Amino acid sequence: MENSTQKPQIAISVKNVSKTFIIPHDKISTLRGAFTSMFNKKDHDVLDALKDISFEIKKGEFFGIIGRNGSGKSTLLKILAGVYAHDTGSIEINGAISPFLELGIGFNPELSGRDNIYLNATVLGLTKKQIDKKFDSIVAFSELERFIDQKLKNYSSGMSVRLAFSVSIHANRDILLMDEVLAVGDVNFQSKCLNEFNKYKEMGKTVILVVHDVGTIQRYCDRAMLLRNGKIEMIGKADEVGNEYIYQNMSDEEKRIKREQEQERIGFEKERIQVEKEAEKLKGKELEEEKKRIENEKIKLEEERKNKVAEITSVEFLDKSGNVKNVFETGEPMGIKVDFKIHREVKLLNFGIGMHSAIGGCIFGYNTQIDKSPVYRNDNFVVLSIDELSLLKGEYFINVTCFGEVAEHVYDFKPKCKILTIYSTGTANKHGGFFLIKHEWKKPLTN
Amino acid sequence: MALGHENYKELVLRLAITDFKLRYHASVLGYVWAILKPLLLFTILNFVFSSIFNFKNSGTPLYSLELLTALLMFNFFAEGTTAGLASLLSKAQLVTKIYVPRWTIVLASTLNSFFVFLANMFVLVIFFAIYEKVPSIGGVLLFILYIILLYILILSFSFIFSPLYVRFRDLSMIWEVCMQMLMYAAPIVYPLSLIPENLQQIILLNPLAFIIHFAKQGLISDHFAKPLNLAILVISCIAIFIVSIFLFQKNQRKVAENI
Repeated sequence: MENSTQKPQIAISVKNVSKTFIIPHDKISTLRGAFTSMFNKKDHDVLDALKDISFEIKKGEFFGIIGRNGSGKSTLLKILAGVYAHDTGSIEINGAISPFLELGIGFNPELSGRDNIYLNATVLGLTKKQIDKKFDSIVAFSELERFIDQKLKNYSSGMSVRLAFSVSIHANRDILLMDEVLAVGDVNFQSKCLNEFNKYKEMGKTVILVVHDVGTIQRYCDRAMLLRNGKIEMIGKADEVGNEYIYQNMSDEEKRIKREQEQERIGFEKERIQVEKEAEKLKGKELEEEKKRIENEKIKLEEERKNKVAEITSVEFLDKSGNVKNVFETGEPMGIKVDFKIHREVKLLNFGIGMHSAIGGCIFGYNTQIDKSPVYRNDNFVVLSIDELSLLKGEYFINVTCFGEVAEHVYDFKPKCKILTIYSTGTANKHGGFFLIKHEWKKPLTN
Repeated sequence: MALGHENYKELVLRLAITDFKLRYHASVLGYVWAILKPLLLFTILNFVFSSIFNFKNSGTPLYSLELLTALLMFNFFAEGTTAGLASLLSKAQLVTKIYVPRWTIVLASTLNSFFVFLANMFVLVIFFAIYEKVPSIGGVLLFILYIILLYILILSFSFIFSPLYVRFRDLSMIWEVCMQMLMYAAPIVYPLSLIPENLQQIILLNPLAFIIHFAKQGLISDHFAKPLNLAILVISCIAIFIVSIFLFQKNQRKVAENI
């Protein structure tokens, strides 16, 4: 149903496409299963993988599709390729589309590289004549001249990927579908693939890219679409959609951390109840002994605590309006609030906060002693306020310490007590390293 | 959808040739097995039925030749349907990772058995020469027609059941047993004349039995089916084929999700 006369500038037009999967609880793969399940009504779940999706992709466009796992992006790609049939709606495709979603489909380890090229290329839609003509170029691109008559099973995985990619770029389609292909191959080959990508761009081909990585989308795509739970959340310029995705991830991450903390709390509570219940089971003398033991333990712990001069009770990250938060964006203001309790009389207290990158390396180490801002005994919290958090995306953690007039008198130390997640958007997302430091490139004035 | 797969013929052939290559890739005798396997089976059955049951002297002098013809045809049917049944599942990658028309996969898998059958035909010719039997032109032409009908039956079966096999793996077990039954329900190891007259008609209602019986009769004893019966067979084979294509088109839509 090729339709090149109508709307030639549109490569793909998707209208109101929905897709529902029926997921059996226990996959029925026997006749007996099918028979018995006739009597159990509700033995499957219905998953709406895509809900009323409509969009258009112009010819020559680099179009990105992003979304979290299970957002429906791979399903959409499979529908575009024709692997899945959609339930409702219509899809119109102008031009030859690459029907494959993975490299090296049909590759067989028992066949030689040569046979596999012919097999794979035929599956991708080339005729024998075309393959004959392109054969040398396919082999040359894959850099496997010496091994081409060996069986594929003797290839390393990198070698087969190279062969597969080489065949697939020679398939020469107008519209290309790519699902996370960039994740394969060594660095050299990856850069070769990226070059090939740019060539596609110059040739005016339409490319649809499905990836997790926002950086790739923002670097290569003109436009992008953000999917969430089978719906289009946003569609527009790749940079903006990428940023939206990052914000979405930030709030999801925040929720996840909160949930985790909640669960941890519930876990502690459960454990306590468990211990008490077990104690109840004991009888008579044993019960008395156990009670005594627990009581003693409590007293001991309390004394230990009291013996501490001061104690850090909690550490939180705050946003600019003072709310607790765990996920921040590069450049945001942040406060680190340390709550503490003083048990014994002291003249003054000092606090230190050290931040480290999760992948190693100290970010900063500040303390109230060096900054000449000690804490006096009437206080019960202190906040380290940072106007502009110039950290780039990644995970960081902090250590908090509490000490007296001299650094040797450590009263309390909480190592790795809090984890901080940072997201970056826009160009900041593309930078490397830990910090975003103001910088510019100067050129000689003669130009 | 326009998926740019203009060259189905080459795709089918490439897949079939690959199957054929792979089937014997790690065996010492290689392609020879394609011929050797049915020949060995033939030797056993020939020994059992001509020396012990002695069909040769009960009105079928060329029993061995009849047995070989029938056996090769049945072998074609058995291998073709088995491969066709499993085709979509065994080439799952071509179903779930790419779009190629699914019928090409089914066709390619059965084609492999057809190649084997063609190789076996050379053996049959040699045996005809050994027994100094020259079949009539009509017998040969009808034989070719029967082979085409047989292939249509294989394809129809594969089109109907291969999408179902993806969900119900029992089908291969059931089919294996059916095949044993079919082997004895058709006049392969025994001549039809050995059966009581009224039972003969019932046996010939089975298209497989009809095809095998009259194909070998036509080649060996110039005994042909009634034109009306043959016409009914041709029409019903074509009807089954058309129905199978419809069913396949309907069932293959969701096959990628069920694999």
